[in-house]
Amino acid sequence: MEILIYGTINSVALALYALGFALVYGICRLPNFAHGALYVLSGFIAWTMINTLKTNLLVAVVATLIVTGIIGAVIYRLFLIRVRGMEISEIIASYAIALAILEGLRWGGFRGMTYTLPVFVEGSMTIGGISVDYQRILVVVVGAALVAGLWLFTHYTRVGLALRGMAQDERAALMLGIDSDMMAVVAMGMGSMLAAFAAILLLPLGNIVVESGYNVLILAIAVCIVGGLGSWMGAVLAAFLIGFAQILTVVYLGAHYQMMVALLAIIFTLILKPSGLFGQQKELEERV
Amino acid sequence: MKTTHAKLMMILLIAVLMGLSSGSALAEKPIVIGCPLATAFLYGWDAERGVTLAIEEINAQGGVDVGGKKRPFKIEVIDTRDLEPGVPVSEALLAVEKLILDKEADFLIGGPVRSEAALAAMPLLSKYKKVSIVTTGVLTPKYHAMVAENYDKFKYCFRIHGEAKNLVGEIFANFADLKAKYGFNNLFIIAQDVSHARGAAEIIKKVATKKGWNVTGLEIYPTGATDFSIGLLKAKKTNTEIINIWMDMPESAILLKQWYDMQIPALPFGSTLAAAEQPGFWKATDGKGEYTLCNVVNAGNAPSNATPWTMKFYEAYTKRWGVEPEGLGTSSSYMAVYVLKDAIERAGSLDPDKVVAALEKTDMMGVYGRLRFDPKSHQVIPSTDPKEGAVGSILQWQNGQRVVVYPKSIAMGEIQLPPWMGK
Repeated sequence: MEILIYGTINSVALALYALGFALVYGICRLPNFAHGALYVLSGFIAWTMINTLKTNLLVAVVATLIVTGIIGAVIYRLFLIRVRGMEISEIIASYAIALAILEGLRWGGFRGMTYTLPVFVEGSMTIGGISVDYQRILVVVVGAALVAGLWLFTHYTRVGLALRGMAQDERAALMLGIDSDMMAVVAMGMGSMLAAFAAILLLPLGNIVVESGYNVLILAIAVCIVGGLGSWMGAVLAAFLIGFAQILTVVYLGAHYQMMVALLAIIFTLILKPSGLFGQQKELEERV
Repeated sequence: MKTTHAKLMMILLIAVLMGLSSGSALAEKPIVIGCPLATAFLYGWDAERGVTLAIEEINAQGGVDVGGKKRPFKIEVIDTRDLEPGVPVSEALLAVEKLILDKEADFLIGGPVRSEAALAAMPLLSKYKKVSIVTTGVLTPKYHAMVAENYDKFKYCFRIHGEAKNLVGEIFANFADLKAKYGFNNLFIIAQDVSHARGAAEIIKKVATKKGWNVTGLEIYPTGATDFSIGLLKAKKTNTEIINIWMDMPESAILLKQWYDMQIPALPFGSTLAAAEQPGFWKATDGKGEYTLCNVVNAGNAPSNATPWTMKFYEAYTKRWGVEPEGLGTSSSYMAVYVLKDAIERAGSLDPDKVVAALEKTDMMGVYGRLRFDPKSHQVIPSTDPKEGAVGSILQWQNGQRVVVYPKSIAMGEIQLPPWMGK
């Protein structure tokens, strides 16, 4: 039972880490290596709003989502647009931005173990003899709602359809009058908001530390590679595969090997099926 | 009138001379103390603050008497980053070498903080003949064992805080008390995947089994792990009564939050548990960390009356930094500067071999008891009585306060159990 419960929670957490990264890559083929840094930054923004500006939790959540979204959009407009299409440069530039954010936070005094966000619901309940706290249940419920919401957004709204058009064929989308740079700004803003969303949901379970930015990035990349770069549904499925594999590893082999699961998943995927589970475009390239 | 003028002139002259004499210490070439520390982490920044406070106090008193000349101390810090996950040991070695070559450090105090990095730095210290006093982090018994095994090569290395074997002894003294009082017999061990923690966890497992404890499990978590639920459930399933924790990563706070949220009926007993050492732990866990025990290695890192100097230091630190001494490395880093000053003054020189000889003869009453080094291994001599040696300190979070519960000679309270343990 604990495998089912905590496997699901772990999988949803991984999906939340990865969704923003998958969305940005899926739409504008931009590997945003600043994703983990934006996750940590949004945690500190929320913390500052609650503890320094003394705003209530709901205001802090909304403001954090908006501010992080704007930061993501600005990062694209000011820096990443200049290297757009040059994949190695995109990786280097976005990783440099990540370093600047994380090291800037550290330099600014955001270090130590005492930065935390409040949980939305206090308390715990027992499911099948296993105690689970409400915040973790909330993570699963909200995570599922978010995936459903994203699907609806990309299938039934004009902006969502434009984003999908970009994801499928950027040149064709351009011919149809879709502003690809504007859509990339929107995608980057949305990807950053998703990072903030994950932070607001998951950070109350622990504490906000600068170093977690690197871990979140590694996990997001692992999920996206296994799922197939650019595929959001692939990312969700991969999150469940890796999430349950991690929990099974902890139960039967030991927690020590937990991090290896994600790294081994990357290695095996690249050896056996480099396009990942749902990486259709890359798969076509592989066949050629 | 004339006598009043003469008196005034005399007072002015004395004042000028006094100013000149204290200024002359500052005018002399400073003795550079290099501090290789992981400054983004508790064990790094508290050590830096401890060293800085001691240097400020010593310089305010005129500095260090080196063969009749008063010279001030000067601190140089380089971030070793050795407590960060994924940062190679070579980074810390570069920091040590840079302190020696670029910053021209005369002595080293502090780290490297991670045991692996400190061990790797030992040959560098002998290469450059730099006396180093390790004051924070480094808990591996191998450090002083290496000095004892190869004294001529590693004689420049000293450690002024307790090490893993002391911590193990202190833990079992408490476990024995808990067994006698509540009949506890089931022990679960959780450790971080780093040298000192892995090693100590294995030692605890062996010793506990020998002492008749039922070790219900040993889980080793990678540095940076953020979910401990399965390990905690294993502890609960096996009727564990004590969870022994060895972790210095910030995420250890998550473990304790999960312990509370899941209402695990076992006492969290941290040996190294950096998150719980800090005064901010209570707020960071919204009080969920109540009943957590942790070892801050030496007295003075939590309030107690171990020696007359303990609370004097505690208050001076709090006044200077606006926060109480936060954990392992604070009082030991502070005392290392005073011990070095004492050794330099007795040696009358900065010559490393003479200072080593003087350090071996150190015998002074400090913040955490009587400070002496074992002349063969250069490890500070531990004791449970501050009059005999360096005393440790185990605290428990009780009602928002860090209450020292061990050793009995300096305890300010007794261990309490969480209500959901039903004892």
